[in-house]
Amino acid sequence: MPPGHDGGHVARLHVRGLRKAYAGRRVLDGLDLDVPAGQLAALLGANGCGKSTALRCVVGLETPDAGSIHVDGRDVAAGDNVRAGRREVAMVFQHSHLVGRRSALDNVCAGALGRLPLHRSLAPLLFPAQIRREAMACLDRVGLAHRAGDRVSRLSGGQRQRVAIARALCQRPRLLLADEPVSALDPAAAEHVLALLAGLAHEQDLAVLAVLHQPDLALRHADRVVGLLHGRVHLDAAATDLDAGDLDQLYTGARRPEVVA
Amino acid sequence: MTQTVVTQAPPPPARRPPGPRAVVVALLLIVLHLVALADTEFSVHTLVRGWHGIVDFFSQALPPDTSWSDVVEPGVRACVTTFYIGLLGTTLSIPFAVLAAVAGSRTTGLGTAAYQLARWVMSALRAVPEVVYALVFVTAVGLGPFPGVLALVVHNTGVMGKLWSEAMDEIDRGPVEALRISGAGRTQVVLHAVLPAVLPQCVGLLLYRLDVNVRASLVLGLVGAGGVGFLIDQSVNLFRFDQMVTYIALVLVMIVAVDLLSITVRRRVTNTS
Repeated sequence: MPPGHDGGHVARLHVRGLRKAYAGRRVLDGLDLDVPAGQLAALLGANGCGKSTALRCVVGLETPDAGSIHVDGRDVAAGDNVRAGRREVAMVFQHSHLVGRRSALDNVCAGALGRLPLHRSLAPLLFPAQIRREAMACLDRVGLAHRAGDRVSRLSGGQRQRVAIARALCQRPRLLLADEPVSALDPAAAEHVLALLAGLAHEQDLAVLAVLHQPDLALRHADRVVGLLHGRVHLDAAATDLDAGDLDQLYTGARRPEVVA
Repeated sequence: MTQTVVTQAPPPPARRPPGPRAVVVALLLIVLHLVALADTEFSVHTLVRGWHGIVDFFSQALPPDTSWSDVVEPGVRACVTTFYIGLLGTTLSIPFAVLAAVAGSRTTGLGTAAYQLARWVMSALRAVPEVVYALVFVTAVGLGPFPGVLALVVHNTGVMGKLWSEAMDEIDRGPVEALRISGAGRTQVVLHAVLPAVLPQCVGLLLYRLDVNVRASLVLGLVGAGGVGFLIDQSVNLFRFDQMVTYIALVLVMIVAVDLLSITVRRRVTNTS
């Protein structure tokens, strides 16, 4: 059976036995995680429990010490075509990481760079019309088509994060990762962004994995909550089966991380 | 009414006296300056004794020669040439400086070999002053403004490339990382994340270099590279200090104008960031 297939069910993201240590400190200690298409999964846990490291391993910003990562059954760690593999996985960050001096539309178009030849992407003016139309559709999906021509530096934090999500969509990803996407936003903007991520997962059959620091937001918006403790899955349940008390143990149970002998 | 705040907090830590290393460094700096003063024959006494030389100079230089057709008009024309030398010396070096800066920045990540090579080339170009390049180019293309332009292009590539690469090193790495992991290639990342982010700083540094290069092209005139520097050199050789003062006044006006222009444009560029 190919990796990710589990009794006929295909997981978009399939992680097994992921391990990563920094300077002797074990951050990921055999992480197993599946995220199916059409689901918003929230990844919760105390600081240093390995949430962000797991995401960084999936997008290739970190090299895991051991374990496997498959997206749609394909090994993303195998270095045969890293660029093609990266296109499948989009990521949204805590800070939108947009180019402030460029328009929202130009920033969203940049999400398509991975599938554009260099001569069609030398400058925003040279982007093919079809890419610009697609980028407009992505901006429309996040409710910002009317701000397409505005410089990103003129948008609010919540709007910037939505532009960043539109850029991720323009990448046509199979899997969308979000690393604390609402930590820098006010409560209203945070609700908006998480509702958007949940909507994308459900409507566009996207697998979305979001690292969150707000258990209440996770319970309200996510389909499923995965809690990490000391680099391993400690809790994994549908959001409707959990309450805030269940999640407390993720934070109170966090001791000093063990040191590799 | 004043109130004393009663607190259980520990007292602030005592200030540490300067360590032996700081004392040694301070002594070394003092000795270094004493040696430098002796080596450059620095002497207030000599300066005071020679004051009448300065008075002689000014008595010959003032009042300035302001005859229009002999001095002022050629002077203005030469100032414009000097400005053109500085302008072309700056703008024609832009493509070379961009290449050197992109290769010589850690942000762009074009590889260690390109980085080291670019750093080495920029240092080499910077190490030789414009005047030396001008002397070399005069032997190749003859006297006039053209060797001055060539000299500035070569030197400015080294300086502006270094300034720009440092500006690139300091930008927010977030957009670079975001595009990189979305599958964009290195050149695409440079074009769509690095260059747009660094553009205001680069324009500011470009204007600063224009300012510097216009002044440098003045000096280039002294070695035969045309412009108002050439006229100043001539008037000094003919002991026509009254003409020289007029030329210097014109230069002053030009430098102030370029400076004002550069400040205005820089302010506009940084405001729209």
